[in-house]
Amino acid sequence: MTKAKQKRIRRRSARLGALPLTSMIDVVFLLLIFFLVTANFAQEEHKLPATVQTEGGGVQSSDLQPQIIQISMRGTQPVFSIGELVLSDAPSLESLLKTLPKEPGVAIKSDPDVPIAAIASALQSARNAGFDKRSYVPTDE
Amino acid sequence: MSKRSSSSRHMIDVDLTSMIDVVFQLIIFFMFTSQFGEMMRTEIDLPIEPGDEDVAPKEPAMIIDLTNDGKYLIGSTETSLLEIERLASAGLAIHNDAHPFDVLIRPDRNAPAIYLDRLLLRLANTGVEQWKLATVDNGGGS
Repeated sequence: MTKAKQKRIRRRSARLGALPLTSMIDVVFLLLIFFLVTANFAQEEHKLPATVQTEGGGVQSSDLQPQIIQISMRGTQPVFSIGELVLSDAPSLESLLKTLPKEPGVAIKSDPDVPIAAIASALQSARNAGFDKRSYVPTDE
Repeated sequence: MSKRSSSSRHMIDVDLTSMIDVVFQLIIFFMFTSQFGEMMRTEIDLPIEPGDEDVAPKEPAMIIDLTNDGKYLIGSTETSLLEIERLASAGLAIHNDAHPFDVLIRPDRNAPAIYLDRLLLRLANTGVEQWKLATVDNGGGS
């Protein structure tokens, strides 16, 4: 290596060393901390798909009548009714739904005061029981 | 003066290149893995259900938050049912069968069903047929 080349390299490295990196490292660390913290607290959400079916219209995929789950309140607890049967929890509902034919699908209706958590439980039970056609029928006031 | 210049020379000698490389790699990793959409969403106590794992992880066209006291929020802004109806109509107009209009409802688990019913009736009026209910696996809010 020639002397001139060595001098040039030395000068270049001196110039690079003079770069003020402190602020950049500050910013980079702040970004890193931000992503670390938010990644830990962001909670994964799941989805329960359904169709919306209005009373007297809406989505009707077949002529078969779907199983109707009516959710209402008994005291402070929501209950699920299918025909004459009244079930007090989601596992019982799921067990019953597993025994029913899946082709007609399932339609869920609820009283206005029922918490949405109960609707989610009914949709989840229907999904777990193997119903691909799940619809929710909103009550018209 | 000579003391100062010797200390800055010591600082310059520290080789930060590898550390900056690693730090940038970590930032890029977290940027890719963290879900910005969810971070921007309103904190709501969603229903606790495992959901349907078969659902494609596609970002919905419209996300509506429903609070315990019956407020409807789009992008953390309170929105009237009339406005939601307008937005849904506009959204449906630009979507087709290949890219169906997808609505995600993020309700408070304790909100009464009447608020969900009002919202779904409005959406159904505009022609929305498919919707999804957001849930979480455990007891924490999102």
